[in-house]
Amino acid sequence: MEKLRPKAMIKSIHEARAWSLWVVNYFNSCGFIELFPWLGSGYDMERFGIRVVGSPRHADVLIVAGYITQKAVKRVRRIYDQMPSPKYAMALGSCCMTGGMYWDSYSTVKRIDEYVPVDVWVLGCPPRPENVGHGLMMLMKKIKGGFQGH
Amino acid sequence: MSEEIISSLKSEFADSILKVFLEDKKILVTVKKEGFYDVLSSLKGMGFDHLSDVTCIDYIKEQEFEIFYHLWAHKKKLRVSVKVRIPRDSSSIRSVTDLWTGAQIHERENHEMFGVNFPGNPDLSPLFLEDWEEIPPLRKDFDTRKFVRRKYYGEE
Repeated sequence: MEKLRPKAMIKSIHEARAWSLWVVNYFNSCGFIELFPWLGSGYDMERFGIRVVGSPRHADVLIVAGYITQKAVKRVRRIYDQMPSPKYAMALGSCCMTGGMYWDSYSTVKRIDEYVPVDVWVLGCPPRPENVGHGLMMLMKKIKGGFQGH
Repeated sequence: MSEEIISSLKSEFADSILKVFLEDKKILVTVKKEGFYDVLSSLKGMGFDHLSDVTCIDYIKEQEFEIFYHLWAHKKKLRVSVKVRIPRDSSSIRSVTDLWTGAQIHERENHEMFGVNFPGNPDLSPLFLEDWEEIPPLRKDFDTRKFVRRKYYGEE
């Protein structure tokens, strides 16, 4: 792409990509409740071109939130593999990063990035809606800078 | 109503019932393993047509599992809990799927989490755990913390 197109055009492609992030969710617990304000008119993520789609084949971003079990992580990976490139992943909440309160459970996955390459980490138990938005803005900033995902 | 059930159970199964008493509008029945199926089928004949749950408790000091059957009668609005003790090393108890079809999923879960075998159950394949190679995780001698440290953090 870099060879065929002039620099200004590449920059506008990155810009356009950043302003139309389509999200597919994999939510197990309270993290989704904190994304609800962004879905509705309160924080309104459609003004940034971010919307939730039903199929991973239409999506750019996978948001993983909540406790992921050993059984569920295979499905997460399958969803991630179905997404077209460039694709990004966001981990929401401390539970999928560290195992959270149930780190000593026999079934929870401790680190989601051992299974899916994560680009943005949003901390919190659960994270505030502002944190979720901050994470999405960080991802947009990265993509504007030319980040192509993993 | 509940006194009638208690007295009829006492007279009918005098040798297999260890203890029957009323506690907080709920009848608790302790049965020997040999007679438990007859007690349950006679309770079903009395109108206890709903099996709420089948649970298991691990009494590791006594080396026994206690299996609980929670029953509910819609018309009489009565609750009965039947408990049976089985030895821990040869943990096997007859399935009650022919009395209540809904027992199948509860027994399957108990088989997975405690390793109790239910002969007569059509499907005891794993329900929640995939690629599980350890002892059943809800047994008291399974140390989850040790397991996590070994599996995810590489410690011994």
